[in-house]
Amino acid sequence: MRPARRAEPWLLLTPMLLMLGVFFVYPLLSALHISFFEWDLLTPPRFVGLHNYAAIWRSGELLASLGTTLLISGLVVAASLGLGLVLALAVHRPGRIAALARGAVFSAYVVSWVSVGLLFLWIFDADAGVVNRALVALGASPVKWLTSTSVAPVTIALIVIWKVTGYAMVVFLSGLSALPPELGEAAALDGAGPFGRLRHVTLPLLRPTAAFVATTSLIASFQLFDVVRLLTQGGPVRSTTVLVYAIYEQLFRDLRVGRASALVVVFFVLLAGLTWLKLKAFRAAEPT
Amino acid sequence: MHRRAFLLSAAAVSSGASACAHGEAPPGRVSVPFWFMYGGRNRATLETLVARFNAAQSEVWVRPVFQGDYFEGLAKLRTALAAGAAPPLSHVVGEVVPYLAEAGVLEALDDYPGARTLPLVPALGQAGSFRGGAERPLVVVPFNRSTPIAYVNRRLFEARQLPEPRSWEELEQAARELTQPGRFGFGCPIDWWYWAALVGQAGGEVVEADGRISLGGAAGVQALAFWQRLVRQGLMKPPPGRDYNAWEQLSQDFLAERVAMIWSSTAFVRYLEETADFPIACLPLPRGKRAAVPTGGTHFVLFKSAPSELKLAAWRFVLFLLEPSAAAFWSSETGYLPVTSPAASALETSGFYAKHPNYRVAFDQLAAAQPWPWSKGLFRIQRELVQPRLEAAVLEERDPEQVLGEARALARENDL
Repeated sequence: MRPARRAEPWLLLTPMLLMLGVFFVYPLLSALHISFFEWDLLTPPRFVGLHNYAAIWRSGELLASLGTTLLISGLVVAASLGLGLVLALAVHRPGRIAALARGAVFSAYVVSWVSVGLLFLWIFDADAGVVNRALVALGASPVKWLTSTSVAPVTIALIVIWKVTGYAMVVFLSGLSALPPELGEAAALDGAGPFGRLRHVTLPLLRPTAAFVATTSLIASFQLFDVVRLLTQGGPVRSTTVLVYAIYEQLFRDLRVGRASALVVVFFVLLAGLTWLKLKAFRAAEPT
Repeated sequence: MHRRAFLLSAAAVSSGASACAHGEAPPGRVSVPFWFMYGGRNRATLETLVARFNAAQSEVWVRPVFQGDYFEGLAKLRTALAAGAAPPLSHVVGEVVPYLAEAGVLEALDDYPGARTLPLVPALGQAGSFRGGAERPLVVVPFNRSTPIAYVNRRLFEARQLPEPRSWEELEQAARELTQPGRFGFGCPIDWWYWAALVGQAGGEVVEADGRISLGGAAGVQALAFWQRLVRQGLMKPPPGRDYNAWEQLSQDFLAERVAMIWSSTAFVRYLEETADFPIACLPLPRGKRAAVPTGGTHFVLFKSAPSELKLAAWRFVLFLLEPSAAAFWSSETGYLPVTSPAASALETSGFYAKHPNYRVAFDQLAAAQPWPWSKGLFRIQRELVQPRLEAAVLEERDPEQVLGEARALARENDL
């Protein structure tokens, strides 16, 4: 269908283009521009070329925060895929109990991050926390969930997994519901048992769903901020300083707008790369 | 007639309350937005004082706006300053004052009515809080000022007949006696403020008189090594979280008797006394080679960018808060120091200090207060160079000499 006037599609697109321009493209270009300056918002900006990029590289901040982000993201993606699928397979059946289980697991996803943070601050407290009290009651040693540099990033990942697995489960459930039942029936007639049907029919057909879950979990964990802000403030000793938190610290704590902008630019490039991978994964996962 | 008058005044009060609830000034008054960063009980006390000021005169209407903790508030202030939307009045931590003054955003207050003759407690005003502060234009007026003090659980101390720890050795000994499964003898946030206290007690200066960033030299190392030793032996709890989150965690641990003795700000005297179900004794920090404490809390500042009319109106509010009754009320309701000599005298003569000796500890401790250097890079030294390294030394057992050496080198490299 051809538009009556050539300008018509552009007119219809204008509100969205304006919004994208004002809230996404302009801030990004602005961040790119500011990343070449040393600026604290109060004194005049000073052009420093690529110094901010060199500074975040040399200080190890970029690699450290990227490493932490990737560690947490890796754990979150792997666990949300695995647990989400297992839970979806377990509750993909009629009945009240399955419905209750679906609702219970998904409910974590709708709780606000701030509430989640406060809840887990209590659960993982080194002395008064429920988990450590249970460990001590069972005769085990308490774990420094939030005060050990090696355990704290894993604790943060566990919390994110708890929160996003319900979403992964729902997506897998919709994937399961969309599978044509006759394929499973045909496989059963051919003598495939439940495990064989899962392995040779269900899982291959769920590949696009899995790719979707993986990429959305990855992007969500890359954008992690609230829980870190509430539970650890990036510590102990920067062990939970993920990329977004590092940007926040540079900008709001250290008053270094240029370095924060350099981190934003690097972060954007990474997210753009991830999005490209996502598109590629979707295309590859499309059943032929 | 009486009934009618009553109804009229009730209507007036309710419309005033509604204006207040919406933060709108009644017609004819100059509305002064005041960005503040006190939470909990301190916030309620401040709002009481604002209401008193608003009721006491009919020209100015102060509109308090809560902006999170000190650091969040500072971030918002900077953004507002950059956007040309800063309020006329706010308050900032001492470490950031030289930086804001150098950036030229603070209003010089010397020529404001009464500014040169404020009866401030010497250690708490600009002249006493900053080395060289007296020679500079007056840009800050103190209000919620503090020092770190020790809070001890008297029940636990008395059960063991422990003496008040007056030295580092006695502190360590008391911590050892009080530590048992499920309870630490001592707790202290791994925070620059408390480290600065230890550096002073060990005989050092964070920034030397000539402006050199020494981070205390050997004293800085001793301070960190002291913490490391206590943590390694399981006598001291470094609370989880950073900044004020760690302070709050420590208060909760103290209240739940998971820690028997803590270092915290005098700002929490009222809160801890009211909340604890055991008696609390406040003590001055122990001596090392000498007695020393830094001062903390915030100072009022007026922002140059605001219209003169608003700044003058805000100044009236500042003067109101420095009146003996207001400053003494603030101190007795919170635990912060009385910032003027008449307010301190009022607390003494009214018998408040005799009845509540815990409130007096920080005030007496001012005799050992050490001024901060007037260094524009002080907050960067604090936030970027020292604070993360204190955590690394205590929680990851890094060599104190090495981490402080790194921080000194970075300070030189970045020309701080």
